[in-house]
Amino acid sequence: MEGISKQFPGVKALDNVSFHLKGGEVMALLGENGAGKSTLMKILSGVYQKDAGTIRVFGESVENLSPKKAQELGIAIIHQELNLCPHLSVAENIFLGREKVGALRRLSQREMNREAGKILENLRIDLAPTTMVGNLQVSKQQMVEIAKALSTNARVLIMDEPTSALTAKEIEELFRIIRQLRDEGRGIVYISHRLEELQHIVDSVTILRDGQFVAEMPFKDVTLNEIISYMVGREIKEKFPRVTCPVGKKIFEVKHLNAGRMVRDVSLELHEGEIVGIAGLMGAGRTETTRAIFGIDRKESGEIILDGKPITINKPIDAIRAGISLAPEDRKRDGLCTKLSIRDNIALPNLDIVSGPLTTVNMRKVNRMSDEAVRNLQIKLPNTLVDAGSLSGGNQQKVVVGKWLARNSRVVIFDEPTRGIDVAAKVEIYHLMNRLKQNGIGVLFVSSELPEILGISDRIIVMCDGRITGELDVKEATQERILELATQFEKKIQTA
Amino acid sequence: MDQKVKQPNIFKRAFAKRGMGQVITVFFGLIVLCLVFNIVNPNFLGERNIPNLFRQFAPFLIVGIGQSFVLITGNIDLSIGSVLGMSCMTSATLMCNGWHPLAACLLTMVICVLTGFINGTLVAGCKLPPFIATLGTMQVARGIAQMVNNNMNTNSIGEFAGAFRDFFYYGRFLWFYNTFWIAVVVWIIFNFILSQTRTGRHLYAIGSNIDAAKLSGVSVYWTTTKAYLVSAACAGLVGLIQCATTGTGTMDAGLSYEMYAVAASVIGGVSTLGGQGILLGTVVGAGVWSVLSNGLQFAGVAVGPRNVIIGVIVVLSVLVDVVARSGRFSRKPKA
Repeated sequence: MEGISKQFPGVKALDNVSFHLKGGEVMALLGENGAGKSTLMKILSGVYQKDAGTIRVFGESVENLSPKKAQELGIAIIHQELNLCPHLSVAENIFLGREKVGALRRLSQREMNREAGKILENLRIDLAPTTMVGNLQVSKQQMVEIAKALSTNARVLIMDEPTSALTAKEIEELFRIIRQLRDEGRGIVYISHRLEELQHIVDSVTILRDGQFVAEMPFKDVTLNEIISYMVGREIKEKFPRVTCPVGKKIFEVKHLNAGRMVRDVSLELHEGEIVGIAGLMGAGRTETTRAIFGIDRKESGEIILDGKPITINKPIDAIRAGISLAPEDRKRDGLCTKLSIRDNIALPNLDIVSGPLTTVNMRKVNRMSDEAVRNLQIKLPNTLVDAGSLSGGNQQKVVVGKWLARNSRVVIFDEPTRGIDVAAKVEIYHLMNRLKQNGIGVLFVSSELPEILGISDRIIVMCDGRITGELDVKEATQERILELATQFEKKIQTA
Repeated sequence: MDQKVKQPNIFKRAFAKRGMGQVITVFFGLIVLCLVFNIVNPNFLGERNIPNLFRQFAPFLIVGIGQSFVLITGNIDLSIGSVLGMSCMTSATLMCNGWHPLAACLLTMVICVLTGFINGTLVAGCKLPPFIATLGTMQVARGIAQMVNNNMNTNSIGEFAGAFRDFFYYGRFLWFYNTFWIAVVVWIIFNFILSQTRTGRHLYAIGSNIDAAKLSGVSVYWTTTKAYLVSAACAGLVGLIQCATTGTGTMDAGLSYEMYAVAASVIGGVSTLGGQGILLGTVVGAGVWSVLSNGLQFAGVAVGPRNVIIGVIVVLSVLVDVVARSGRFSRKPKA
């Protein structure tokens, strides 16, 4: 298999970028948000047209690439957000648009199921082709996407952030499949923000920054720190900036909270001047706990105490009025109105502050509030009137945080605040949490990434299966210790 | 720390306001339409037709405002036409039975608003798809319109309610008919609510991202219900106007008005997907609709071709916007 190279001089999004991918190789495409990775991949898969440069697939120059043509050439892309129809079966999804038909153009379900079964078996994926895709876990859905790509006989596979929604075990499974595909001689482009993963899988790296090509090299020749400085263009001094400040009085307490199967007898407390991290595996009930505290899901029992006074929270508005904020996990779904302006997004939970008599919204106050948030959080944007959806991931996250910081909260809950954002933006979010901590605001920090939990929090609560299985001071906590607690599943009753 | 936040000047801000672009385009289209019709028949912009045109425009605008409120929350109200008919029949029947017009109007409006409340509760409280829920109320309201006077249109209300008809139909104020001024007042009130108050923000937020709105402390039930209340109240008001216009209660009053209302909103840039659009758009949208129907009539086009032409122009006007928008997309600077 020959390499692919292309150039795009004179465009803002991508300026003269090129890379080469050999068959039987996994190449990591790295760069911060907005570096142009997605644009590059969209050009390669035919979604966008290039302005200049050449694409060569197997040595042959390709012009006017369309999604269909890319598919014929054997280029397949697996997006971060999966594109499957939940109401169709695995086999139907795999053959969507290329359905096999028999006599009278009748769908031949049996043949599709057989073919799909063969592909899945080849990949050693344990999945029945007739299952509804909507009933599958995200990790399995991703396998379906891979199988779909292989059914078109793809020789170049692009994976955009494939691991962002997977647990450690599922990632291992994914890596096994990627290795298998590599050994079959396919080329794989692997896009990820989780640099720690790369060592398990990647053969070479290509790094972009601000739409420009920065470096291309075999993975074994570089260290992670070098990669980071290539991506950011400057040394990041501290990956996890830590600020110590004296721990003050207790501000927030949850006692024996129960809400469904995923939140069982959860008790925790939060003091002034500390960040409490909640660690655990995917599905340990961390997000559910924050949702129950914030009044999104119904609580069955439990007490919530803020500044010594018990409070009732039945709806999010109760929590907001009491001074609790939640920056939710899925910013596109729960955090932002992507079609509204940044200004309106920031004002949305704070309309009580900025409105006057007759509940008229005072635009001057709204502008002042949003400008202040933009300045404080260093959100990069053309102006506050653009759609929130047009910002890059890291900046969107800052808007989500900003809309809550504009009011004086006593407790701020961050649920996976750094998911899918780049290294520099992560550090800014950490700084922000530290600033809150120094101002005596309680910070509850949910994350799946152990290094950041260890790096930022002062105290770590570990959850497993809806229960709290342990609490560690950061000084005594290690990744191993946390994982041990995070896998303390309840013993199921065994019939002797 | 000292990143400067750019704030565009007031003029740019007005234009950057969501949906303003389409409003301006459609407005120019509207002017062109008027000029064309005036060339075909110079009486179109004559002294007699202009007040008349504005009077015909008023009902479209009012139902359009109601539908816009609902569309902005990402829902739809199919019951507008039937509620209008119910309002027309109820008020006429009451007046024929000797009720004071004011009392008749009040009771009618209460019934209409109640329908809106039921719509809101079905959609936001019981989580029914808005299409189905309002399809049901549409049928029920039409049925009530037929029931109130034993499946007959009412007699003329003229002898009982001269003042009523004067107020809603014949009366003039500053050269224009009262009907138009009523629409103006309705527009001012609801435009204020939509663009200046918290409720307005909540409406947009729900239409844009219902989950994010919920997590920001917005009451989805109340806000959605408010939109349906506005819609039903607007339909009820137009029902009264309709009653005054014809002087009788007609069971078929307001037939397919819910679709006229959708058309007025959508031509003016209100998105059927929710979260987008301004009431100024509804004004030009309703303007296009009434100019087309009145103008084609003036030009001597028969009913059949008239409907065909209106339909084509509505689709074209939205198509132009879709094309323009996709053009703007490709000019987006970076990914």
